[in-house]
Amino acid sequence: MTASPIIQLSEVTKTYHLESGDYTALDQVSLDIAENDFVAIMGPSGSGKSTMMNQLGILDVPTSGSVYIDGKNVAAMSQLERTHMRRDAIGYIFQKFYLIPLLSAYENVEYPLILKFKKRDTTEKAFRLLEAVGIDRSLSAHRPTQLSGGQQQRVAIARALVNEPRIILCDEPTGNLDSRTGFQIMDILCGLHREGKTVILVTHDEQIAAYAKRTIRLVDGRIEGS
Amino acid sequence: MPGDIFFSLAVRSVRLNFLRSMLAAIGIVIGVVAISSMGMLGTNMQLEVKDQLSATANTVVISSDTVRMGPPGFTPSSSSASGVTKTELTKITSVVSGNGTVIPIYETSGEFTINSIAGRGMIFGIDPGDIGKFLKINQTYGNGTTDLGLNEVLVGADIAQNFDLKVGDRIRIGSFSSSSRPELRIAGVLQPRGTVADGISTDNGIVVNSKWYTNQYGGSNEWSQVNVIVNNVDNISAVESAINAKINTNAKTPAVRITDATSQLATETSTLSTVTTFIMAIGGISLLVAAVSIFNVMMMSVSERIQEIGILLSIGTEKGEVRRMFVYEAFILGLLGAGIGGASSAVIGYSVVDAMIGTTAYFFQPASILYVPAAMLIGVVVCVISGVYPAWRASNMDPIDALRNE
Repeated sequence: MTASPIIQLSEVTKTYHLESGDYTALDQVSLDIAENDFVAIMGPSGSGKSTMMNQLGILDVPTSGSVYIDGKNVAAMSQLERTHMRRDAIGYIFQKFYLIPLLSAYENVEYPLILKFKKRDTTEKAFRLLEAVGIDRSLSAHRPTQLSGGQQQRVAIARALVNEPRIILCDEPTGNLDSRTGFQIMDILCGLHREGKTVILVTHDEQIAAYAKRTIRLVDGRIEGS
Repeated sequence: MPGDIFFSLAVRSVRLNFLRSMLAAIGIVIGVVAISSMGMLGTNMQLEVKDQLSATANTVVISSDTVRMGPPGFTPSSSSASGVTKTELTKITSVVSGNGTVIPIYETSGEFTINSIAGRGMIFGIDPGDIGKFLKINQTYGNGTTDLGLNEVLVGADIAQNFDLKVGDRIRIGSFSSSSRPELRIAGVLQPRGTVADGISTDNGIVVNSKWYTNQYGGSNEWSQVNVIVNNVDNISAVESAINAKINTNAKTPAVRITDATSQLATETSTLSTVTTFIMAIGGISLLVAAVSIFNVMMMSVSERIQEIGILLSIGTEKGEVRRMFVYEAFILGLLGAGIGGASSAVIGYSVVDAMIGTTAYFFQPASILYVPAAMLIGVVVCVISGVYPAWRASNMDPIDALRNE
């Protein structure tokens, strides 16, 4: 373990106020994830996986406790700083791919670069990344709806990588794919881990979780065995 | 802006829902057409009246409050003093001296017959030497002259047109029932004058030699009005007050009334501009309706794209960038509407002005044609304002909730 973890959760609690009463999705969760770790987060539905994912992805702030990403306290950051951190430090890969439907495959990958540099990209970086995940130039002009699920997830991976984030956050990345395509996607993720990325994988598929170096199991908002 | 990814997204969104977008933009088209063609119509009217009145802007009109309006065949008694008197005329002439030209005019309303067809109009008696100083002959009706003989007349443009007259034709002055209906020769046809501020509306009138006039109607040296055409229009108020000081010695019961084109112009244009503003406001209501439909379409666009907004926000798009995307979309709708509206209003406005005013001479003057870009700008601004709230709503969504939206 390196001295300072890239992600640190300390006694994170997330409570939702529902009409039926308060619901605690995460209950005093503490977790350190080191740089270049490959962690699978598992658990049945309702165990707090998604809530955990939102905390790790800076999409939400904890009710109590603190989340440190790259040494910075998420709760203390402004909304704009959190937006910039999502853009620069984290790559997101979703179960439903979540490509922008009005943009071509190429533009989807170019998009985070535009967000970061406020101008169109001329370095062909997006093309290189698309080729690296197996999308050639002719396919890159297509809109997401014209691509297969596996192709869409490859585009989404290229998009997640384009701003060179240190953390890759994957939410059921193979959930909408057949098993063969799923394993191809997992091979790409393993490659990223070998290149030095910190990969966090949320899944309920044991076979997929087996790719990770270690597995954290969530039950009722707590880490099992901790 | 075309290189801006958010602008491209907005363009693609409009293209994706093209029919819906066009329907919403039609409201803007109608609003822009309404505002600009109404504005142009009013302005063209104003410009025409202004032009006609300012042709006589250098004229001071001095008239007596006693208006002579005799019945047909009526001969005013020469003993009753009415109109501007000889003494007053002398005073006016001495006051004006070298600063202008004094033209005394007799006038009455009367009947005339041309080829046994009766007509009615104003009859002006003017010294032949003065006629050419402010009235012009239209030579297309024959070789006319302002140098009237005793039994010659000049007829106005409308009469010449209505009776299909030419120089050398005959006209009888007086009604059918009248015992004496002297016949006069038409020596010329006057150019159209339109609305004038000097009181001499000749378009539906007849100009006769002042000697013939006093022989026929009497009232010698009792002029209906005296026009003073000043040489320098900047001196007009000085001339007016000098005449006023000389003649209207009793302030309570002034002997004569002194007016000029300025006051008449002010009244006419302010009336017209009030009317123009009013009809433009009615046109503006259609823009308000358009704003509602743009707002509606923008809200639809936002609610259909909640998940997309969630994607944008979660992967690091700033709120301002999301807002910009939707404001661009409203802006594009505005541009579409205003573009089509601007082109249509140039065409429609031209036809309306041509049909209602009869001339398009003023249409391309800046004051008139500028209504097109102005209305287009208003249309675009209305659209952008309508898009502000939907854009704000989109940018303030919670990315987690938005992503979950199917």
